[in-house]
Amino acid sequence: MAPATEDTLTKVSTEAATEFVQTFYQALRANRESIGSYYDANPQTIIFNGNPVSDGAAVQDIFVNQMPPANFEIQSYDCQIVNPAYPTTLPGGGLKPASEMGVKDMSILILVSGAVRYGENREQPQRGFSETFVLTPNPSAERVRGRKDFLIQSQNFRLVV
Amino acid sequence: MMKSSKSRRGGTGGSDRGGIRKRGATRTDRDGDMDMDAATSRARRNRTEASRAALGGRISSGGAGGRAAGSGSRTQAQAHNRNVDLIQRAIASTDPQANFRQNRRDGGKNKGNLDTFCVRGWKSSKAASNKDQGREALVAFLERRMNSSIKNGPRIRITQVSPTVATVTLHASRRLPFSCLFVLGHGPFLDDGQRILGHFGALRMAAIGFQGPDTLLVSIHHDLADKMLRINGNVFAGVKITVDPYNADDALASELAPADGAPGSTADTKTKMLAILDKRYFAENKLLDMSDLAGDLDLQEMGIFNSTSTESKFFPALMKVWETRYDSSAARREAVESASLANNNLSNISVVTTLAQAVPDIKNLDLSNNKFKDAQAIIGWRWKFRNLVFLDLTGNDFSSLPNFKDTMLKWYPKLQILNNVQVRTAEEVALQKKTPIPVQPPHFHDESQIGENFVRAYFVGYDNDRNALIPNVYDNESTFSLNINTVSPRSMNSEAVGWSDYIKKSRNLDKISHLPARMSRTYKGIDRIREIFSDLPPTRHPDLTTKADQWLIECYPLPGLPDPSGQSPFGVGGLSLTVHGQMEESVAGKLELRSFDRTFILGPGNTPGGIRIISDMLCLRAYGGHDGWIPDSIALPQVAAPAPNAPPAEAPAAAPAVPNPPAGYGLPGPGKSDTQVQQEQIVAQMSAKSGMTIQYSEMALVSNNWNAEAAWGNFEQLKASGTLPPTAFLTPS
Repeated sequence: MAPATEDTLTKVSTEAATEFVQTFYQALRANRESIGSYYDANPQTIIFNGNPVSDGAAVQDIFVNQMPPANFEIQSYDCQIVNPAYPTTLPGGGLKPASEMGVKDMSILILVSGAVRYGENREQPQRGFSETFVLTPNPSAERVRGRKDFLIQSQNFRLVV
Repeated sequence: MMKSSKSRRGGTGGSDRGGIRKRGATRTDRDGDMDMDAATSRARRNRTEASRAALGGRISSGGAGGRAAGSGSRTQAQAHNRNVDLIQRAIASTDPQANFRQNRRDGGKNKGNLDTFCVRGWKSSKAASNKDQGREALVAFLERRMNSSIKNGPRIRITQVSPTVATVTLHASRRLPFSCLFVLGHGPFLDDGQRILGHFGALRMAAIGFQGPDTLLVSIHHDLADKMLRINGNVFAGVKITVDPYNADDALASELAPADGAPGSTADTKTKMLAILDKRYFAENKLLDMSDLAGDLDLQEMGIFNSTSTESKFFPALMKVWETRYDSSAARREAVESASLANNNLSNISVVTTLAQAVPDIKNLDLSNNKFKDAQAIIGWRWKFRNLVFLDLTGNDFSSLPNFKDTMLKWYPKLQILNNVQVRTAEEVALQKKTPIPVQPPHFHDESQIGENFVRAYFVGYDNDRNALIPNVYDNESTFSLNINTVSPRSMNSEAVGWSDYIKKSRNLDKISHLPARMSRTYKGIDRIREIFSDLPPTRHPDLTTKADQWLIECYPLPGLPDPSGQSPFGVGGLSLTVHGQMEESVAGKLELRSFDRTFILGPGNTPGGIRIISDMLCLRAYGGHDGWIPDSIALPQVAAPAPNAPPAEAPAAAPAVPNPPAGYGLPGPGKSDTQVQQEQIVAQMSAKSGMTIQYSEMALVSNNWNAEAAWGNFEQLKASGTLPPTAFLTPS
């Protein structure tokens, strides 16, 4: 594979970040049963306000069963490519061979700044949050509708205001 | 409204409008070039009308800002006007700046951050011989100039929207009044003041007004501020014009100055104002006492009350001068905990509204004995003073309205004492802050103290010598980018520190959608990082050890990072390090406080320390404090020292909300933690020793972090200065 140009890398990474930010927070708000599908099967670290959470299923469980309605407003976000040739471990074990690597085999750092209001009461104060994600390529080759190219490898949510 | 404007056009209109016609009739209302003689009579009634518009009417009634008021109400307003006292007239005079600021705050809580600029120098241009002194031509010029630098997106268009929000000085014959209001916008045609509010959040908007003979005021969205500043020094009709950020005290000084503009008057006004502030600031109590201003002989002597124009400007100017006392906004914020505007006969806050910018973090606010008749009178502070614990509105009609308490509780989430009565406990305040996800101390899973050592070294280096820092931690694969959150919560409560230095570098992907911009705003490699770092303002981060509470730093391992040696097919492991905090920045010679979030990804590298930054992503936002990450377990909110000013003796003493002491107080009981029992005992001791109520004793202790000695010292100080209200003490039985 010829090395991708900076144009292509920027386009792929920023579009992936945009797609992720636009759909993930929407899922937190209104499609909580889908939350688990945003996570890698073996995520590295997931933290909410300093509380470690084991995996995507656990995050989904918290949001479905314990979390009041939450309205997220994304105010600013940015992304960078961390590793343009991320070493993906295939579901069956072993590394994805270099010959099969494409431009989307990158890991992406995303930093989101926004506000969240918990509960249905519009009078509740908006809290500011900052959230950091690292997305890695989806190791699964399955061709299904809604397949995500990138999954959450690590996540750190913090209320900051 | 537009119809009436058009029909009046012929009167003072003008033949000199060639350049304007193409923009249509909407801009050519004659109020835009109101001649002074005609202004005087109309001006008088406009003042009262505008005052209503500026006050409650703006929000509640549709026709705010309109001059459509019938003659009946006009007469009424005039009659009323004869009776109002000086301060009230100050409010009525509707300083254009105050209006715009008011609009912006009321209009959209988090939206529409406007910067205001003064455009000067155009009076000596060739266009000044036009019948309208060149105003229309100037506005057209600004429009053209700003559009010339806009390559993408909607173009700026100037549309006159409300010809009638007018302020008129008593010296209207000598000074040209502020006489028209424009909105620059790309949105649908705006035809009344009310709709401006709804549109202030839109991006390409500005308001324009004229102030004084040679000043055009332009209020414009933050994002366009740099375009506005770029016009500085441009040649308009043969002369260079200047564009500077609006400065309230300069504006006042130029008004107070003799007509010939004697040099040194600005400095003189500032000196006098500093003296007034010195007299009214009590450092030991952190009290800024702005009560009974009309009775201040020094202010009277300055001639502040000789004209409505200076009246309306002096308080904003005073607040600006106040800001100059401090070389950093952090120091200024810490200087005042209590403020008083008692006994000022204010019927609304429009003239004093900038108090909220000058002292945003105060815990105690005394507004007693004014003429606030309802919530609308203080609506401009709806989202201000987020740390307010004590609020006194006794002696205002508002206090007797049935919704008074509920409204104030709703507005101020930390409010505990309202009109000297406890309305909420510290525990209730803490409970409100509770989130569905408990707030825990930072998650910090370091490896061999790499993360910790990095943070300790990095921010010292970043503040002191970025150039020396860069080769130690960045290499040619390192990436830096920054994004600005201009609408973060609290941004409306923070003073409006513009983002003009940053906005061109911000890679907020929500706003920056074009690939070339996304690429150019990514800084990869030592050279480009050096370039951007030298462009960013100097910073000062708080000390990590002594101000640890102002930081929140989390750290955890991250696999799959690029191997600089290229040898490991599995990549290498490193750390993700996320830092939330605040920093002071030197902007135009002044220190401003901002909050930031910054994530680093660290991996092994060929740097001197063997650690390199792979990714460095910075988000800047308005200062939002550090309460957000105080863990739930220790989140006892700060309760301020008691009332800054004792209520007048004749005021009925409020019954203490907590009996002294309640049964079982200080004794173990069901559901009581050991800590609570201990604290209750300390409170009881304090109460017995000081003679203060349990409630006030507790406040004294809480505000001194349960240090009994410090609390006692604080008590003695407050008692000696007479600032404790009678209700602070147990009545001898």
